[in-house]
Amino acid sequence: MVKRKLGALEKVEADLSYIEDFRAQHYQYESHREIFMAAPSAATDTGIISLRELIDFISHVADCYPEILKDFPRQLIDMLMQHHLVLEQELREKLVGSIVLLKKKDLIDSATLLHTLFPILISTPSKTLRALLFQKILSELRQANSKTTNHKLNRTMQTVLFNLVTSDRTSSKALWAIKLTRELWKRQIWTDAKAVEVMKEAALSENEKVIVGGVRFFLGGDKEREDMEDESSDEETLDIGRLRHTLQINKKSKKKARVAEKAMATHKKKERKKTQPHPLNFSALHLLHDPQGFAETLFSKHLQSSKSKLNLEQKLLVLQLVSRLVGLHKLHIMSLYSYFQKFLTPRQPSVTSFLASLAQATHDLVPPDVLEPLVQKIANEFVSEASAGEVATAGLNAIREICVRQPLAMNETLLQDLVMYKKSKDKGVMMASKGLLSLYRDVGAQMLKKRDRGKEASMGLRSGEKEQRRFGEQETGGIEGLELLEKWKEEERRKKREEKGLASDDEDDDDDENDWAAWNVEDDNDSDDSGGWINVESDAEIELSDSEDEGKDRPSKKTKQDDPETKKDENIAAEEKKLSTLATTRILTPADLAKLAELRAQASVNTALNGTKSRRGGLPAARHTDDPLTAQEIEGLAALSAAKATREERIAHAREGKPDRDEHKSKEARRRERKQEQGKSTTNKEKARRKNFLMTLGKAKSKNKRSLVETRAVLKAHHDRQKRGGKRGNVGN
Amino acid sequence: MGSSAKRKKEKQKDFQKPKLKVGKAKAKPENFTDTSFRSKAIVLNQQSLHVSAPNADSQFSHHLSLLSSKSDSQRRDSLAHLTTTIASRPVNSPLPQPVSVMLPSLLPLILDANNNVRTALLKLLRTLPNNDVQDHVAQLLPYVRAGMTHLAADIRVSAVEILSWMVEAAGEAVVSCAGGWIKTFNCFLSILGWHTEESARWSSNRASFGKSGSQGRPMVKVLGALAGFLDAGIGAPGASDGGEDPLVVQSSSTWPFPLCQTSQHMISDSATPYAYLNLFGQPRDEEGEMYETREDRFRVFSTRFLPAVERGLKSAREEGGELGRASSGVTKVLKEALSYGSGP
Repeated sequence: MVKRKLGALEKVEADLSYIEDFRAQHYQYESHREIFMAAPSAATDTGIISLRELIDFISHVADCYPEILKDFPRQLIDMLMQHHLVLEQELREKLVGSIVLLKKKDLIDSATLLHTLFPILISTPSKTLRALLFQKILSELRQANSKTTNHKLNRTMQTVLFNLVTSDRTSSKALWAIKLTRELWKRQIWTDAKAVEVMKEAALSENEKVIVGGVRFFLGGDKEREDMEDESSDEETLDIGRLRHTLQINKKSKKKARVAEKAMATHKKKERKKTQPHPLNFSALHLLHDPQGFAETLFSKHLQSSKSKLNLEQKLLVLQLVSRLVGLHKLHIMSLYSYFQKFLTPRQPSVTSFLASLAQATHDLVPPDVLEPLVQKIANEFVSEASAGEVATAGLNAIREICVRQPLAMNETLLQDLVMYKKSKDKGVMMASKGLLSLYRDVGAQMLKKRDRGKEASMGLRSGEKEQRRFGEQETGGIEGLELLEKWKEEERRKKREEKGLASDDEDDDDDENDWAAWNVEDDNDSDDSGGWINVESDAEIELSDSEDEGKDRPSKKTKQDDPETKKDENIAAEEKKLSTLATTRILTPADLAKLAELRAQASVNTALNGTKSRRGGLPAARHTDDPLTAQEIEGLAALSAAKATREERIAHAREGKPDRDEHKSKEARRRERKQEQGKSTTNKEKARRKNFLMTLGKAKSKNKRSLVETRAVLKAHHDRQKRGGKRGNVGN
Repeated sequence: MGSSAKRKKEKQKDFQKPKLKVGKAKAKPENFTDTSFRSKAIVLNQQSLHVSAPNADSQFSHHLSLLSSKSDSQRRDSLAHLTTTIASRPVNSPLPQPVSVMLPSLLPLILDANNNVRTALLKLLRTLPNNDVQDHVAQLLPYVRAGMTHLAADIRVSAVEILSWMVEAAGEAVVSCAGGWIKTFNCFLSILGWHTEESARWSSNRASFGKSGSQGRPMVKVLGALAGFLDAGIGAPGASDGGEDPLVVQSSSTWPFPLCQTSQHMISDSATPYAYLNLFGQPRDEEGEMYETREDRFRVFSTRFLPAVERGLKSAREEGGELGRASSGVTKVLKEALSYGSGP
């Protein structure tokens, strides 16, 4: 009721016939303000109430009388800034609300608003006011950035936050800067380096809470952002066809029409959004200036120094950040590895996190002689016959994760020793050991014993194709999936030619032109016919052979497989040549790039189905470089290793992969349920089955009493009806 | 369903009547809760026991505290009590409580919703000694102005009455205190509806905002108060014999010959002699500024208000009747002031 009244007030136009009345109210406000300002802390209840109502009224009509209300915003701001400590709570909230309203009416600019609200946010002791202010500031920033990015405002705000964080490193006020930045980062309003800089300074602060806030941002801010985006994109997936259908069937009313219209509008908006180019957002870790310096300072300030007051959990967070930075940017902090040394014992609390951090901090440019003692220590401390299954699993997994990143950290004897655990009775240990084995089949097969190498690796070794990479050696790379694109193009060209009836090898210039015409990605492009669907080859043999089996080859296959192997070598040179031509001789159009992405996705699905191929890529390919390595991954299949897991745990583990599965039901029952959910009707058969037993009784009884003649008539009628095709008949009669 | 004998028996058990016996207390129901309690002592904290009756002073402060009471009649009665106490005190004896103590509880009553309370308040104010009022004009004025622009017409009228009392009691202080001249004048114009050309036209529905009051002839009272206010502010010094002239004469007479204008150099006898410096208050704008001399006030008046006042007076005269007669009083003051000009 009140809201509607206020809404009506906002529509009042600047009508001069009200000016006298308004002026009177304004004088009233002025005198009340004067009374209030004389003694803000000792104001009476009635005085406060009337002042609050006057402020409310005046701010709602403020845009109608700008001449009279020149000073009004200034007055409100002064009142709030000087007296926010002693103001009565409701009046204070009203002041905040009115100032925001004045901003909405463009009587003050957003910089003024933020300069008013932010200092109060960080200085007020009142929790409710802080919550209100935070929400207002956030919505103001969102609003200012809603149409276009308001760079100027963002820059000033970021500078304010930066100064807040850097000015007093011991105070916890910087938490507000963190909270604000994180929220805006999550909503993709701030995506630039300056925001990251604020968080970087926060991570280097002296206050524990601030440090943890900053570090957590780097560890989880981007994940949060992605989640938010996913959430917003699939929050309403309404089925337009169904909507139309229900609209036809159900009773028509104005309200329903309005609802439908609204739904259509949102749907259209979403469609439009889909076609817009995706904003390119870098993760916070990539936007850091000088990651080396940052990581070094973090390490020396919070981890190495004896003065740091962080507890183990906080230290672990910092360590995770440092190690991610090191792994991601391939930094060199040599003292980091010796720091790990003392934590690598099974008795250390949350040792799996330490192991994960160590593996994360490893990259292919770390000198192997730094890592070797660490790997040795892990092996000595964790992996032994005497140690518990979980411990050995964690150790083996950690060693594997380290060696994935730097294969040279392993020596031959140790590796052969560790590989022996593949015969372990414990499932977790066995799996972890096999993981290590398959890794080294790929990256350093000559270190394995001959019988462990497997067919593929030993053949690779023999042909000289598989050599262990030397320290610092980099893989020569191109554009991923480019050869697929080229192949596809070739095919398309051939198809076109066949359509035209030309010889398939004939060269023609015109399709170059076609390509240029199809510069943009078009929705109804025939190349896009699979739109969203990925073809899965049905006839591709799904090979899920265990690595053990690969050693003993079936003779029949051997001859087949040898053939392509020999040919392959010859093809390699030719293929590489081709590779370079497409990217260097042509400009890839956006349509090409879209197709490339599609082909890449398809290829990845195919490789996922063909188990052996996926293993060749090894772990690092499957994992994105930005993704962190977690302690859970180090623990690995430890859950399997012991029989100690209770029944509930085992059930939960089995259910993990299949999230939404309720109790077992027949197919029919599921179908019926689905139909009912969609509001569809039942079949006649079903109706008959469900019919109350007592109602069917009479008919059944009478059926028994029928005479022969009657029975004949009924049967005949039934026969006729069948012939006609039901009661109504399916012919035109 | 209750078909079995056992069930029936169970059911009957619920509806059995308790048997009453003569000479024995009634059996207590099952869900009875004992609410009695024991205490070592019972304290009545409202009671105040005295051997002697409360003396006048304590009664006075008690009634002063009752001014913020919720009930209208209580406030009115307390005001009446205070009024009689002040009025009946011996001549030249000080007030039971200083004005500065009384004012904070009196001031909000200017905006009180009840007519009787406001009338009683005016009576009380009239009993206060003039020189005490002079020092507290700055505190009083914001409330009076709030009253003058209040939505309720009755409150407006009583605020105007209080203002005219203040002008009588301490005219010079009212017009020269901070914000006393421009802001108060604005309130007058708004109450009369003389601000703009349109609203000053006689046909327009003036002073129509808010509830119309029950007391009659509000405009006449307002015009009367305006005349007094104008006279205090820019009236020709000779016409009303207050202010400077007698003072000058006196001072020149009290000091022997070589000393002239010595009174200017003496310590001022007003309560806040350096108020114009505004050392402790909010920074003032043009409207809130102090206009201490007649020249200043006249300059402000002639630039800001003169056209509006003249226009308003003209339309009031045209309306005739009681209003016209009341306006002639204002016109007379205005004419004298204009003929005197900005100063000698």
